[in-house]
Amino acid sequence: MSSALRRVATAAQPMIGIAALIAAWQAASVIAANPTLAPPLGAIARQIAAMASTDLLNDVVASLVHLLLGYGCGAILGLVLALLAARSEWFAAILDPYVEFLRPISAIAWIPIAILLFGVGRGVPVFLIFYASLFPILVSTLDGVRSVDRGLINAGRALGASRRLVVTNIILPAALPSILSGARLSLGVAWVAMVAGELVGADAGLGWRIMWYQEFFSMDGVMATIVVIGAVGWLLDALLRALQRRLLAWSPTTGARG
Amino acid sequence: MSPALRIGLPLGALVVILIAWETAVRATGTAGLVPSPVNVARAGVALIADGTATRALAGSLQRVLIGFCVAAVIGVPIGLAIGTAPTLDRIFRPVLDAMRSVAPIAWIPMAILWLGVRGDAALFVVAYAAVFPFILNASDAARRVDGSLLAAARSLGAGRALTFGAVITPSALPFLFTGARIAMGFAWGSIIAAELAIGIKVTGQSRAVAGLGQLMVETLYVRRDVDALVFYMLMIGAVSFLIDFGMRRAQIRLMPWTLR
Repeated sequence: MSSALRRVATAAQPMIGIAALIAAWQAASVIAANPTLAPPLGAIARQIAAMASTDLLNDVVASLVHLLLGYGCGAILGLVLALLAARSEWFAAILDPYVEFLRPISAIAWIPIAILLFGVGRGVPVFLIFYASLFPILVSTLDGVRSVDRGLINAGRALGASRRLVVTNIILPAALPSILSGARLSLGVAWVAMVAGELVGADAGLGWRIMWYQEFFSMDGVMATIVVIGAVGWLLDALLRALQRRLLAWSPTTGARG
Repeated sequence: MSPALRIGLPLGALVVILIAWETAVRATGTAGLVPSPVNVARAGVALIADGTATRALAGSLQRVLIGFCVAAVIGVPIGLAIGTAPTLDRIFRPVLDAMRSVAPIAWIPMAILWLGVRGDAALFVVAYAAVFPFILNASDAARRVDGSLLAAARSLGAGRALTFGAVITPSALPFLFTGARIAMGFAWGSIIAAELAIGIKVTGQSRAVAGLGQLMVETLYVRRDVDALVFYMLMIGAVSFLIDFGMRRAQIRLMPWTLR
């Protein structure tokens, strides 16, 4: 057990905070002295290792497939709706109130309806992810497109650029910081929606695996899955952050928080 | 575009959609299997009249408020500490990022174990969801206090208390309020999720834990009443909308200097 502890500690060396968190958990599990209430680190680490050699890859892949389908559809539809709304005042007038009403409704509230519509399976998490990721990217894209410098657009037009060229070479690059920060916000809420959807309405994925372990009262398994969910979610966010830095090296970006 | 058109267009679109929906349900004779606007309205009136819906709503809102307050009490001091001390920020930022990446609802099995199914597990999930907006925005608030304002206040002889009351607080409040608004949204979203997840686990055992989420589970699996389900959805939507709208209004009202 102590060797596992040391391994974890080495991996987290640059992060005193993370080490403190882990130490606090271990202390809690020693004090609780109940492997069910607070599984000790060694048990969680062993469980992760055991999962890694069996189902972990399947679960992660199933979750990522859900995420890819839902987030892909949500992000693309959000982008398209925002571009349409930016072009047509009529379309914007019809779209706006619906967005304003639907946006604050958390995707999770749709779970019962989604279960009713799609049954337990892939449909529920995909739908929830789609719904969750649609609005942040829609709103920030619209925001970004609307605040593109008119002077740049007019200059492009005056220099003979076609409508299409104006969109691809002026509007999209200028709106890119907003689009990407929307994409990051979207991914964050999509991740939460995915876990919730899988937890109650799917037959595969990391969220489903939590419930599966709970059925067997294996809290080591539950905690191990929670750790995996945190790690993968953090990795995805880091990926988008890197993309942001890479694509926006030219622009003084403001990170989104929430 | 005229204001009349601005209101009329979306309203017209809504009417068209509702009429098309109602006719489609009637034409196919699937009322009861598929929700229809008229039946949803009828179910809503009945559920409000006999108090089922309002009681569940009150139960959920109560838990949201408690969880929200717990999150504020924990999150704001942590955020302010992180915002004022860069060392603390470097140490605890990765911890916060890691914990934030775990979907709050994933804690449900542990929370049930720690706190029981009688609503407290849902409270844990709500507080967990709401604490991060508080921390992030409070640390922002602390970081963005204008240094020259602080220096000016001090050189004009303001003491610690006066500086805190007259400079730091007014500059930090808007950020805190934004944090509170986001936290409230998260809290409301996660109470429904938590109650749904817990409800599915304990259906048929204990009816004492009645929030909107549990009521929806029961409606879905026991009563199989699609119209009521859609009505609850609309109710959740309306509450989300009112929370967001109300807190925006309150911010403008209470802190007019934050008008953007």
